Amino acid sequence: MNLDWLDAFLISGLFSVVVIVGLGLLLHLQLGLTRIANFGVVGFFGIGMYSFGVLFTKVDWPFGDLWAFLISLAFGTLVAGLSGLLVGWLIADLDEDGVLVGTLGFATAVFILATTEQDLTGGALGLGGLKFPYDVGTVKADEFLWLVIVSIVVALIFLYVWWVHRTPYGRLLIAIGGNEPLAKSLGKPAFRTKLWLFAVGSAGMGLIGALFGVMERFLAPENLGIDVTLAAMVALVLGGTARAWGAVIGGFLIIGFFDIIVQSYLPLPKEWYGQAIPNIKEIVFGALLIVVLLFRPLGILGDMRRDKLMRRVHG
Amino acid sequence: MVDDTPVATIIRPQIHIQNAVKSFSGRVVVDVDELTLGDHAIEGLIGPNGAGKTTLMRMIMHSTPLDRGTITMSNANGGGDVVISDLPTHWMAPHGLVKSNQVIMDFDKLTILDSMLLAIAQAKYEQPHRLFVETQVYDAAVERVHEYMEYFELGDPYRFAGSAGEKKLLDIIRCLLLEPRFLLLDEPTAGLPDDVTEKVMAIIRDLAVAGTSVVIVEHDLNVIWNLSDDVHFMAEGSVVMHGSPAEIRENKTVIEKYLGEGHV
Repeated sequence: MNLDWLDAFLISGLFSVVVIVGLGLLLHLQLGLTRIANFGVVGFFGIGMYSFGVLFTKVDWPFGDLWAFLISLAFGTLVAGLSGLLVGWLIADLDEDGVLVGTLGFATAVFILATTEQDLTGGALGLGGLKFPYDVGTVKADEFLWLVIVSIVVALIFLYVWWVHRTPYGRLLIAIGGNEPLAKSLGKPAFRTKLWLFAVGSAGMGLIGALFGVMERFLAPENLGIDVTLAAMVALVLGGTARAWGAVIGGFLIIGFFDIIVQSYLPLPKEWYGQAIPNIKEIVFGALLIVVLLFRPLGILGDMRRDKLMRRVHG
Repeated sequence: MVDDTPVATIIRPQIHIQNAVKSFSGRVVVDVDELTLGDHAIEGLIGPNGAGKTTLMRMIMHSTPLDRGTITMSNANGGGDVVISDLPTHWMAPHGLVKSNQVIMDFDKLTILDSMLLAIAQAKYEQPHRLFVETQVYDAAVERVHEYMEYFELGDPYRFAGSAGEKKLLDIIRCLLLEPRFLLLDEPTAGLPDDVTEKVMAIIRDLAVAGTSVVIVEHDLNVIWNLSDDVHFMAEGSVVMHGSPAEIRENKTVIEKYLGEGHV
Protein backbone atom coordinates (compact mmCIF):
# COMPACT_ATOMS: atom_id res chain seq x y z
CA MET A 1 0.00 0.00 0.00
CA ASN A 2 1.47 3.34 -1.06
CA LEU A 3 0.77 5.93 1.63
CA ASP A 4 3.20 8.63 0.56
CA TRP A 5 0.34 11.08 0.17
CA LEU A 6 -0.52 10.69 3.82
CA ASP A 7 1.31 12.60 6.50
CA ALA A 8 2.13 10.55 9.63
CA PHE A 9 1.01 13.50 11.76
CA LEU A 10 -2.31 13.54 9.99
CA ILE A 11 -2.89 9.90 10.95
CA SER A 12 -2.22 10.57 14.62
CA GLY A 13 -4.21 13.82 14.50
CA LEU A 14 -7.22 12.12 12.96
CA PHE A 15 -6.85 9.29 15.44
CA SER A 16 -7.08 11.77 18.35
CA VAL A 17 -10.19 13.27 16.80
CA VAL A 18 -11.83 9.86 16.37
CA VAL A 19 -11.01 8.80 19.94
CA ILE A 20 -12.37 12.01 21.47
CA VAL A 21 -15.48 11.85 19.27
CA GLY A 22 -16.05 8.28 20.50
CA LEU A 23 -15.73 9.33 24.15
CA GLY A 24 -17.90 12.39 23.49
CA LEU A 25 -20.65 10.23 21.98
CA LEU A 26 -20.76 7.99 25.04
CA LEU A 27 -20.72 11.09 27.23
CA HIS A 28 -23.66 12.40 25.20
CA LEU A 29 -25.75 9.43 26.38
CA GLN A 30 -24.71 9.96 29.99
CA LEU A 31 -24.59 13.75 30.25
CA GLY A 32 -26.59 14.97 27.27
CA LEU A 33 -29.62 12.72 27.65
CA THR A 34 -29.57 11.36 31.20
CA ARG A 35 -27.83 14.33 32.90
CA ILE A 36 -25.17 12.23 34.64
CA ALA A 37 -22.18 14.57 34.73
CA ASN A 38 -19.41 12.02 34.35
CA PHE A 39 -16.13 13.80 34.98
CA GLY A 40 -14.29 10.50 35.26
CA VAL A 41 -14.21 9.67 31.55
CA VAL A 42 -10.45 9.24 31.57
CA GLY A 43 -10.70 6.86 34.53
CA PHE A 44 -12.75 4.35 32.55
CA PHE A 45 -10.67 5.04 29.45
CA GLY A 46 -7.52 4.34 31.49
CA ILE A 47 -8.76 1.28 33.30
CA GLY A 48 -9.74 -0.27 29.96
CA MET A 49 -6.37 0.65 28.48
CA TYR A 50 -4.31 -0.77 31.33
CA SER A 51 -6.41 -3.89 31.91
CA PHE A 52 -6.01 -4.67 28.23
CA GLY A 53 -2.31 -3.84 28.15
CA VAL A 54 -1.37 -5.70 31.32
CA LEU A 55 -3.23 -8.86 30.36
CA PHE A 56 -1.87 -8.82 26.82
CA THR A 57 1.76 -8.25 27.76
CA LYS A 58 2.11 -10.07 31.09
CA VAL A 59 0.44 -13.35 30.24
CA ASP A 60 2.33 -16.03 28.39
CA TRP A 61 -0.39 -16.70 25.83
CA PRO A 62 -0.50 -20.29 24.56
CA PHE A 63 -2.23 -19.33 21.32
CA GLY A 64 -1.79 -16.86 18.49
CA ASP A 65 -1.49 -13.12 18.85
CA LEU A 66 -4.88 -12.30 17.39
CA TRP A 67 -6.77 -14.38 19.94
CA ALA A 68 -4.67 -13.07 22.81
CA PHE A 69 -5.36 -9.59 21.52
CA LEU A 70 -9.12 -10.05 21.25
CA ILE A 71 -9.41 -11.73 24.66
CA SER A 72 -7.39 -8.93 26.25
CA LEU A 73 -9.55 -6.35 24.51
CA ALA A 74 -12.71 -8.00 25.84
CA PHE A 75 -11.13 -8.15 29.29
CA GLY A 76 -10.27 -4.43 29.24
CA THR A 77 -13.82 -3.59 28.20
CA LEU A 78 -15.27 -5.84 30.88
CA VAL A 79 -13.12 -4.43 33.69
CA ALA A 80 -14.05 -0.87 32.67
CA GLY A 81 -17.72 -1.93 32.62
CA LEU A 82 -17.50 -3.52 36.06
CA SER A 83 -15.80 -0.47 37.52
CA GLY A 84 -18.57 1.58 35.89
CA LEU A 85 -21.10 -0.61 37.63
CA LEU A 86 -19.40 -0.04 40.97
CA VAL A 87 -18.92 3.72 40.54
CA GLY A 88 -22.41 4.03 39.07
CA TRP A 89 -23.92 2.23 42.05
CA LEU A 90 -22.18 4.70 44.33
CA ILE A 91 -23.20 7.84 42.46
CA ALA A 92 -26.52 7.08 40.75
CA ASP A 93 -28.56 8.50 43.63
CA LEU A 94 -26.31 11.48 44.35
CA ASP A 95 -26.94 15.05 43.22
CA GLU A 96 -24.83 16.70 40.53
CA ASP A 97 -22.07 17.80 42.88
CA GLY A 98 -21.78 14.30 44.29
CA VAL A 99 -21.58 12.77 40.82
CA LEU A 100 -18.90 15.26 39.79
CA VAL A 101 -16.72 14.63 42.84
CA GLY A 102 -17.27 10.86 42.76
CA THR A 103 -16.32 10.42 39.11
CA LEU A 104 -13.41 12.85 39.33
CA GLY A 105 -12.15 10.94 42.37
CA PHE A 106 -12.38 7.67 40.50
CA ALA A 107 -10.30 9.02 37.61
CA THR A 108 -7.68 10.21 40.09
CA ALA A 109 -7.62 6.79 41.74
CA VAL A 110 -7.01 5.13 38.37
CA PHE A 111 -4.18 7.53 37.61
CA ILE A 112 -2.55 6.86 40.96
CA LEU A 113 -2.94 3.08 40.59
CA ALA A 114 -1.33 3.24 37.15
CA THR A 115 1.60 5.12 38.69
CA THR A 116 2.09 3.11 41.88
CA GLU A 117 1.35 -0.48 40.84
CA GLN A 118 4.75 -0.78 39.23
CA ASP A 119 4.83 -4.57 39.03
CA LEU A 120 1.81 -4.55 36.78
CA THR A 121 1.87 -1.22 34.99
CA GLY A 122 5.51 -0.29 34.96
CA GLY A 123 4.66 2.81 36.97
CA ALA A 124 5.81 6.15 35.66
CA LEU A 125 8.27 4.38 33.35
CA GLY A 126 5.38 2.91 31.43
CA LEU A 127 4.46 -0.40 29.93
CA GLY A 128 5.78 -1.45 26.55
CA GLY A 129 5.18 -4.50 24.39
CA LEU A 130 1.83 -3.63 22.85
CA LYS A 131 1.45 -4.13 19.14
CA PHE A 132 -1.08 -4.20 16.36
CA PRO A 133 -2.81 -7.55 15.86
CA TYR A 134 -1.57 -7.60 12.27
CA ASP A 135 1.40 -6.53 10.19
CA VAL A 136 0.74 -5.01 6.77
CA GLY A 137 4.27 -3.87 6.02
CA THR A 138 5.23 -0.43 7.24
CA VAL A 139 4.49 1.22 10.58
CA LYS A 140 2.61 3.90 8.70
CA ALA A 141 0.38 1.37 6.96
CA ASP A 142 -0.26 -0.40 10.26
CA GLU A 143 -1.24 2.86 11.89
CA PHE A 144 -3.45 3.85 8.99
CA LEU A 145 -5.27 0.54 9.10
CA TRP A 146 -5.74 0.94 12.86
CA LEU A 147 -7.18 4.42 12.29
CA VAL A 148 -9.67 2.89 9.84
CA ILE A 149 -10.63 0.11 12.26
CA VAL A 150 -11.14 2.47 15.21
CA SER A 151 -13.08 4.86 12.97
CA ILE A 152 -15.45 2.01 12.14
CA VAL A 153 -15.92 1.25 15.84
CA VAL A 154 -16.65 4.91 16.57
CA ALA A 155 -18.98 5.13 13.56
CA LEU A 156 -20.95 2.19 14.97
CA ILE A 157 -21.15 3.95 18.33
CA PHE A 158 -22.41 7.04 16.52
CA LEU A 159 -25.06 5.06 14.66
CA TYR A 160 -26.31 3.58 17.90
CA VAL A 161 -26.37 6.93 19.70
CA TRP A 162 -28.06 8.63 16.75
CA TRP A 163 -30.69 5.91 16.55
CA VAL A 164 -31.36 5.79 20.31
CA HIS A 165 -33.09 9.17 19.98
CA ARG A 166 -35.68 7.34 17.87
CA THR A 167 -36.43 4.57 20.37
CA PRO A 168 -38.54 4.26 23.54
CA TYR A 169 -35.25 3.73 25.42
CA GLY A 170 -34.00 7.15 24.32
CA ARG A 171 -37.26 8.70 25.46
CA LEU A 172 -36.81 7.03 28.84
CA LEU A 173 -33.27 8.40 29.18
CA ILE A 174 -34.42 11.94 28.32
CA ALA A 175 -37.29 11.61 30.80
CA ILE A 176 -35.01 10.48 33.61
CA GLY A 177 -32.52 13.22 32.79
CA GLY A 178 -35.26 15.83 32.71
CA ASN A 179 -37.27 14.93 35.80
CA GLU A 180 -36.25 11.82 37.68
CA PRO A 181 -38.94 11.93 40.44
CA LEU A 182 -41.64 12.28 37.79
CA ALA A 183 -40.20 9.38 35.77
CA LYS A 184 -40.21 7.23 38.91
CA SER A 185 -43.81 8.10 39.65
CA LEU A 186 -44.68 6.86 36.15
CA GLY A 187 -43.21 3.50 37.11
CA LYS A 188 -39.82 3.95 35.44
CA PRO A 189 -36.88 2.27 37.22
CA ALA A 190 -34.64 5.34 37.18
CA PHE A 191 -31.84 3.99 39.36
CA ARG A 192 -31.45 0.74 37.42
CA THR A 193 -31.63 2.52 34.08
CA LYS A 194 -28.95 5.03 35.06
CA LEU A 195 -26.76 2.32 36.54
CA TRP A 196 -26.81 0.20 33.38
CA LEU A 197 -26.32 3.16 31.13
CA PHE A 198 -23.35 4.23 33.22
CA ALA A 199 -21.83 0.75 33.27
CA VAL A 200 -22.23 0.12 29.55
CA GLY A 201 -21.02 3.63 28.72
CA SER A 202 -17.98 3.06 30.91
CA ALA A 203 -17.31 -0.25 29.17
CA GLY A 204 -17.37 1.61 25.85
CA MET A 205 -14.92 4.19 27.21
CA GLY A 206 -12.69 1.33 28.37
CA LEU A 207 -12.80 -0.23 24.92
CA ILE A 208 -11.81 3.09 23.33
CA GLY A 209 -9.01 3.37 25.89
CA ALA A 210 -7.68 -0.06 24.95
CA LEU A 211 -7.86 0.79 21.22
CA PHE A 212 -6.02 4.02 21.98
CA GLY A 213 -3.34 2.10 23.88
CA VAL A 214 -2.68 -0.09 20.84
CA MET A 215 -1.97 2.98 18.74
CA GLU A 216 0.37 4.35 21.42
CA ARG A 217 2.08 0.94 21.81
CA PHE A 218 3.39 2.22 25.09
CA LEU A 219 1.21 2.89 28.14
CA ALA A 220 2.20 5.62 30.55
CA PRO A 221 0.22 7.40 33.29
CA GLU A 222 0.64 10.65 31.41
CA ASN A 223 -2.01 9.35 29.01
CA LEU A 224 -4.48 9.47 31.88
CA GLY A 225 -4.53 13.19 32.57
CA ILE A 226 -7.65 15.25 33.07
CA ASP A 227 -7.15 16.62 29.54
CA VAL A 228 -8.80 13.50 28.05
CA THR A 229 -11.97 14.07 30.07
CA LEU A 230 -11.77 17.75 29.34
CA ALA A 231 -11.36 17.18 25.61
CA ALA A 232 -14.40 14.91 25.42
CA MET A 233 -16.41 17.31 27.56
CA VAL A 234 -15.39 20.39 25.56
CA ALA A 235 -16.06 18.66 22.23
CA LEU A 236 -19.52 17.61 23.37
CA VAL A 237 -20.45 20.94 24.95
CA LEU A 238 -19.14 22.93 22.00
CA GLY A 239 -21.05 20.83 19.48
CA GLY A 240 -24.16 20.48 21.63
CA THR A 241 -24.69 18.13 24.56
CA ALA A 242 -28.26 17.33 23.61
CA ARG A 243 -27.56 16.31 20.01
CA ALA A 244 -26.05 13.11 18.65
CA TRP A 245 -24.03 15.14 16.12
CA GLY A 246 -22.73 17.41 18.89
CA ALA A 247 -19.71 15.32 19.86
CA VAL A 248 -18.82 14.74 16.20
CA ILE A 249 -18.91 18.39 15.20
CA GLY A 250 -17.30 19.61 18.42
CA GLY A 251 -14.62 16.90 18.21
CA PHE A 252 -13.63 17.72 14.65
CA LEU A 253 -13.60 21.45 15.39
CA ILE A 254 -11.64 21.54 18.60
CA ILE A 255 -9.41 18.45 18.43
CA GLY A 256 -9.09 18.81 14.69
CA PHE A 257 -7.88 22.36 15.21
CA PHE A 258 -5.25 21.49 17.79
CA ASP A 259 -4.09 18.03 16.76
CA ILE A 260 -4.18 18.53 13.03
CA ILE A 261 -4.03 22.20 12.08
CA VAL A 262 -1.84 23.51 14.91
CA GLN A 263 0.26 20.35 14.96
CA SER A 264 1.02 20.15 11.24
CA TYR A 265 0.02 23.22 9.33
CA LEU A 266 0.67 26.31 11.43
CA PRO A 267 4.14 27.81 11.09
CA LEU A 268 4.93 27.78 14.80
CA PRO A 269 8.42 27.60 16.36
CA LYS A 270 9.47 23.98 16.90
CA GLU A 271 10.25 24.41 20.60
CA TRP A 272 6.61 25.26 21.31
CA TYR A 273 5.40 21.77 20.59
CA GLY A 274 6.95 20.12 23.62
CA GLN A 275 5.61 22.26 26.46
CA ALA A 276 3.73 25.31 25.30
CA ILE A 277 1.12 23.82 22.97
CA PRO A 278 -0.26 21.19 25.36
CA ASN A 279 -0.55 23.88 28.03
CA ILE A 280 -2.18 26.36 25.68
CA LYS A 281 -4.53 23.59 24.61
CA GLU A 282 -5.70 22.98 28.17
CA ILE A 283 -6.10 26.70 28.79
CA VAL A 284 -8.17 27.07 25.62
CA PHE A 285 -10.29 24.04 26.53
CA GLY A 286 -11.09 25.48 29.93
CA ALA A 287 -11.75 28.97 28.58
CA LEU A 288 -13.85 27.64 25.72
CA LEU A 289 -15.95 25.58 28.11
CA ILE A 290 -16.69 28.71 30.14
CA VAL A 291 -17.43 30.85 27.07
CA VAL A 292 -19.75 28.27 25.50
CA LEU A 293 -21.61 27.71 28.74
CA LEU A 294 -21.99 31.46 29.20
CA PHE A 295 -23.08 32.44 25.73
CA ARG A 296 -24.43 29.34 24.05
CA PRO A 297 -24.96 26.71 26.75
CA LEU A 298 -26.57 24.30 24.30
CA GLY A 299 -23.60 24.40 21.92
CA ILE A 300 -23.39 25.06 18.20
CA LEU A 301 -26.25 22.73 17.30
CA GLY A 302 -28.56 23.89 20.07
CA ASP A 303 -31.22 21.89 21.84
CA MET A 304 -32.68 18.59 20.69
CA ARG A 305 -35.75 19.06 18.53
CA ARG A 306 -38.10 16.31 19.63
CA ASP A 307 -41.03 18.07 17.95
CA LYS A 308 -39.48 17.75 14.51
CA LEU A 309 -37.77 14.43 15.15
CA MET A 310 -40.88 12.65 16.40
CA ARG A 311 -42.96 13.96 13.50
CA ARG A 312 -40.40 12.43 11.13
CA VAL A 313 -40.15 9.16 13.05
CA HIS A 314 -43.91 8.60 13.11
CA GLY A 315 -44.16 9.81 9.53
CA MET B 1 -74.25 9.66 42.18
CA VAL B 2 -71.79 6.87 41.92
CA ASP B 3 -73.29 4.86 44.76
CA ASP B 4 -76.58 4.53 42.92
CA THR B 5 -75.04 2.56 40.11
CA PRO B 6 -74.91 -1.21 40.45
CA VAL B 7 -71.23 -1.64 41.16
CA ALA B 8 -71.50 -4.03 44.08
CA THR B 9 -69.54 -6.72 42.25
CA ILE B 10 -66.50 -4.55 41.78
CA ILE B 11 -63.76 -5.17 44.34
CA ARG B 12 -62.01 -1.88 44.90
CA PRO B 13 -58.39 -1.65 45.95
CA GLN B 14 -57.83 -0.11 49.37
CA ILE B 15 -54.91 1.51 51.11
CA HIS B 16 -54.39 0.84 54.81
CA ILE B 17 -52.19 3.19 56.74
CA GLN B 18 -50.96 2.14 60.19
CA ASN B 19 -48.95 4.22 62.64
CA ALA B 20 -47.43 6.22 59.82
CA VAL B 21 -45.24 9.00 61.14
CA LYS B 22 -43.16 11.58 59.30
CA SER B 23 -41.32 14.50 60.78
CA PHE B 24 -39.13 17.12 59.23
CA SER B 25 -36.33 18.47 61.44
CA GLY B 26 -38.04 17.31 64.59
CA ARG B 27 -41.48 18.68 63.75
CA VAL B 28 -44.08 15.96 63.30
CA VAL B 29 -45.91 16.65 60.06
CA VAL B 30 -47.90 13.45 59.69
CA ASP B 31 -48.94 11.08 62.46
CA VAL B 32 -51.73 8.79 61.31
CA ASP B 33 -52.70 5.92 63.64
CA GLU B 34 -55.10 4.06 61.46
CA LEU B 35 -56.63 5.08 58.18
CA THR B 36 -58.25 3.19 55.34
CA LEU B 37 -58.63 4.85 51.97
CA GLY B 38 -60.77 3.34 49.25
CA ASP B 39 -63.87 2.28 51.16
CA HIS B 40 -65.77 4.51 48.78
CA ALA B 41 -65.29 5.12 45.10
CA ILE B 42 -64.24 8.74 45.47
CA GLU B 43 -62.96 10.13 48.72
CA GLY B 44 -61.96 13.67 49.50
CA LEU B 45 -59.08 14.64 51.76
CA ILE B 46 -59.37 18.17 53.07
CA GLY B 47 -57.84 20.26 55.79
CA PRO B 48 -56.10 23.56 56.43
CA ASN B 49 -52.73 24.40 54.92
CA GLY B 50 -49.95 22.51 56.63
CA ALA B 51 -52.26 19.74 57.83
CA GLY B 52 -50.00 17.18 56.13
CA LYS B 53 -52.23 16.17 53.20
CA THR B 54 -49.58 16.38 50.51
CA THR B 55 -46.98 14.76 52.76
CA LEU B 56 -49.36 11.88 53.49
CA MET B 57 -49.91 11.40 49.75
CA ARG B 58 -46.18 11.43 49.16
CA MET B 59 -45.71 8.89 51.95
CA ILE B 60 -48.20 6.59 50.28
CA MET B 61 -46.21 6.83 47.04
CA HIS B 62 -43.01 6.39 49.05
CA SER B 63 -41.53 9.46 47.38
CA THR B 64 -41.20 10.65 50.99
CA PRO B 65 -39.85 7.85 53.21
CA LEU B 66 -41.72 7.06 56.43
CA ASP B 67 -40.10 7.50 59.83
CA ARG B 68 -42.08 4.48 60.94
CA GLY B 69 -45.34 2.67 60.24
CA THR B 70 -46.65 0.58 57.38
CA ILE B 71 -48.84 1.22 54.41
CA THR B 72 -50.44 -1.70 52.60
CA MET B 73 -52.55 -1.89 49.50
CA SER B 74 -55.16 -4.60 49.15
CA ASN B 75 -56.61 -5.86 45.87
CA ALA B 76 -53.74 -4.28 44.00
CA ASN B 77 -53.03 -5.21 40.40
CA GLY B 78 -52.79 -8.97 40.38
CA GLY B 79 -54.78 -9.25 43.61
CA GLY B 80 -53.53 -9.81 47.14
CA ASP B 81 -52.03 -7.46 49.69
CA VAL B 82 -48.86 -5.52 49.02
CA VAL B 83 -46.86 -3.68 51.67
CA ILE B 84 -46.24 -0.62 49.55
CA SER B 85 -44.23 1.19 52.21
CA ASP B 86 -41.52 -1.41 51.59
CA LEU B 87 -41.43 -0.72 47.86
CA PRO B 88 -39.55 1.93 45.87
CA THR B 89 -41.63 4.64 44.17
CA HIS B 90 -41.34 3.19 40.69
CA TRP B 91 -43.15 0.01 41.76
CA MET B 92 -46.35 1.89 42.61
CA ALA B 93 -47.53 2.40 39.03
CA PRO B 94 -47.16 -1.31 38.11
CA HIS B 95 -49.30 -2.11 41.17
CA GLY B 96 -51.94 0.26 39.87
CA LEU B 97 -51.21 3.06 42.34
CA VAL B 98 -50.75 6.44 40.67
CA LYS B 99 -50.58 10.02 41.93
CA SER B 100 -50.88 13.33 40.15
CA ASN B 101 -48.69 16.16 41.36
CA GLN B 102 -49.65 19.26 43.29
CA VAL B 103 -46.86 21.36 41.83
CA ILE B 104 -46.26 21.48 38.10
CA MET B 105 -44.10 18.57 36.99
CA ASP B 106 -43.13 18.14 33.37
CA PHE B 107 -40.40 16.86 31.07
CA ASP B 108 -39.07 20.02 29.42
CA LYS B 109 -37.42 18.22 26.52
CA LEU B 110 -40.31 15.90 25.69
CA THR B 111 -43.26 16.82 23.52
CA ILE B 112 -46.84 16.22 24.60
CA LEU B 113 -46.91 13.06 22.52
CA ASP B 114 -43.58 11.89 23.97
CA SER B 115 -44.94 12.37 27.45
CA MET B 116 -48.00 10.28 26.69
CA LEU B 117 -46.01 7.53 24.93
CA LEU B 118 -43.66 7.44 27.91
CA ALA B 119 -46.56 6.81 30.26
CA ILE B 120 -47.97 4.05 28.05
CA ALA B 121 -44.74 2.30 26.97
CA GLN B 122 -44.12 -1.00 28.72
CA ALA B 123 -40.78 -1.61 30.40
CA LYS B 124 -39.88 -4.40 27.98
CA TYR B 125 -39.78 -1.88 25.12
CA GLU B 126 -37.60 0.58 27.02
CA GLN B 127 -34.46 -1.53 26.91
CA PRO B 128 -31.19 -0.39 25.33
CA HIS B 129 -31.22 -3.26 22.83
CA ARG B 130 -34.83 -2.80 21.69
CA LEU B 131 -33.93 -0.59 18.77
CA PHE B 132 -36.84 -1.14 16.44
CA VAL B 133 -39.92 -0.94 18.65
CA GLU B 134 -40.89 2.73 18.41
CA THR B 135 -43.47 1.98 15.73
CA GLN B 136 -44.94 -0.81 17.85
CA VAL B 137 -45.21 1.45 20.89
CA TYR B 138 -46.72 4.24 18.82
CA ASP B 139 -49.24 2.03 17.03
CA ALA B 140 -50.40 0.50 20.29
CA ALA B 141 -50.85 3.92 21.90
CA VAL B 142 -52.05 6.15 19.08
CA GLU B 143 -55.76 5.54 19.56
CA ARG B 144 -55.79 6.40 23.25
CA VAL B 145 -53.47 9.35 22.69
CA HIS B 146 -55.81 10.81 20.08
CA GLU B 147 -58.81 10.20 22.29
CA TYR B 148 -57.29 12.39 25.00
CA MET B 149 -55.93 14.94 22.53
CA GLU B 150 -59.39 15.44 21.07
CA TYR B 151 -61.31 15.29 24.34
CA PHE B 152 -59.14 18.03 25.85
CA GLU B 153 -58.76 19.89 22.52
CA LEU B 154 -54.98 19.93 22.80
CA GLY B 155 -54.35 20.35 19.10
CA ASP B 156 -50.95 19.30 17.78
CA PRO B 157 -49.34 16.50 19.81
CA TYR B 158 -45.89 17.19 18.31
CA ARG B 159 -45.26 20.26 20.42
CA PHE B 160 -44.20 21.08 23.94
CA ALA B 161 -46.74 21.82 26.65
CA GLY B 162 -46.91 25.58 26.93
CA SER B 163 -48.86 27.08 29.80
CA ALA B 164 -48.84 26.00 33.41
CA GLY B 165 -52.41 24.80 32.98
CA GLU B 166 -51.45 22.64 30.01
CA LYS B 167 -48.59 21.06 31.97
CA LYS B 168 -50.91 20.38 34.88
CA LEU B 169 -53.43 18.77 32.55
CA LEU B 170 -50.70 16.71 30.91
CA ASP B 171 -49.67 15.48 34.35
CA ILE B 172 -53.20 14.22 34.95
CA ILE B 173 -53.41 12.68 31.47
CA ARG B 174 -50.18 10.78 32.09
CA CYS B 175 -51.72 9.40 35.28
CA LEU B 176 -54.86 8.34 33.42
CA LEU B 177 -52.82 6.64 30.69
CA LEU B 178 -51.24 4.45 33.36
CA GLU B 179 -54.71 2.93 33.87
CA PRO B 180 -54.70 3.38 37.65
CA ARG B 181 -56.57 1.08 40.00
CA PHE B 182 -56.00 3.53 42.83
CA LEU B 183 -55.67 7.16 41.85
CA LEU B 184 -54.44 9.92 44.17
CA LEU B 185 -55.09 13.44 42.92
CA ASP B 186 -53.26 16.26 44.70
CA GLU B 187 -55.12 19.48 43.93
CA PRO B 188 -55.98 18.45 40.39
CA THR B 189 -57.96 21.57 39.57
CA ALA B 190 -55.45 24.18 40.76
CA GLY B 191 -54.41 26.11 37.67
CA LEU B 192 -56.93 24.47 35.34
CA PRO B 193 -59.62 26.50 33.57
CA ASP B 194 -63.19 25.67 34.64
CA ASP B 195 -64.20 23.86 31.46
CA VAL B 196 -61.11 21.63 31.65
CA THR B 197 -61.81 20.93 35.32
CA GLU B 198 -65.29 19.77 34.33
CA LYS B 199 -63.84 17.42 31.73
CA VAL B 200 -61.29 16.01 34.14
CA MET B 201 -63.97 15.40 36.77
CA ALA B 202 -66.18 13.63 34.25
CA ILE B 203 -63.35 11.20 33.47
CA ILE B 204 -62.64 10.68 37.17
CA ARG B 205 -66.29 9.78 37.74
CA ASP B 206 -66.22 7.25 34.91
CA LEU B 207 -63.02 5.74 36.25
CA ALA B 208 -64.53 5.41 39.71
CA VAL B 209 -67.64 3.74 38.34
CA ALA B 210 -65.42 1.28 36.51
CA GLY B 211 -63.72 0.27 39.75
CA THR B 212 -60.84 2.62 40.40
CA SER B 213 -60.58 4.06 43.91
CA VAL B 214 -59.94 7.79 43.87
CA VAL B 215 -58.70 10.08 46.62
CA ILE B 216 -58.70 13.82 45.96
CA VAL B 217 -56.89 16.51 47.91
CA GLU B 218 -58.51 19.77 46.93
CA HIS B 219 -58.88 23.31 48.12
CA ASP B 220 -61.81 24.02 45.82
CA LEU B 221 -64.44 22.59 48.14
CA ASN B 222 -67.16 22.58 45.49
CA VAL B 223 -65.21 19.86 43.77
CA ILE B 224 -65.14 17.88 47.01
CA TRP B 225 -68.84 18.30 47.78
CA ASN B 226 -69.88 17.44 44.24
CA LEU B 227 -67.60 14.55 43.60
CA SER B 228 -66.76 12.64 46.71
CA ASP B 229 -68.77 10.00 48.52
CA ASP B 230 -66.79 10.33 51.71
CA VAL B 231 -64.54 13.01 53.14
CA HIS B 232 -61.54 12.76 55.45
CA PHE B 233 -60.69 15.89 57.40
CA MET B 234 -57.09 16.29 58.31
CA ALA B 235 -55.59 18.71 60.81
CA GLU B 236 -52.20 18.91 62.45
CA GLY B 237 -50.91 15.74 60.88
CA SER B 238 -53.74 13.34 61.56
CA VAL B 239 -57.17 12.55 60.23
CA VAL B 240 -59.46 13.93 62.88
CA MET B 241 -62.78 13.17 61.29
CA HIS B 242 -64.46 11.47 58.41
CA GLY B 243 -67.97 11.21 57.10
CA SER B 244 -70.24 12.03 54.20
CA PRO B 245 -69.78 15.45 52.61
CA ALA B 246 -72.97 16.62 54.28
CA GLU B 247 -71.78 15.56 57.74
CA ILE B 248 -68.41 17.20 57.29
CA ARG B 249 -69.77 20.53 56.08
CA GLU B 250 -72.05 20.73 59.10
CA ASN B 251 -69.41 19.88 61.65
CA LYS B 252 -68.48 22.70 64.00
CA THR B 253 -64.80 21.82 64.31
CA VAL B 254 -64.40 21.75 60.57
CA ILE B 255 -66.13 25.05 60.20
CA GLU B 256 -63.98 26.65 62.87
CA LYS B 257 -60.68 25.19 61.75
CA TYR B 258 -61.03 25.37 58.05
CA LEU B 259 -64.10 26.51 56.28
CA GLY B 260 -65.08 29.71 57.97
CA GLU B 261 -68.76 30.56 58.28
CA GLY B 262 -69.11 31.90 54.76
CA HIS B 263 -68.25 28.69 52.97
CA VAL B 264 -70.80 26.30 54.37
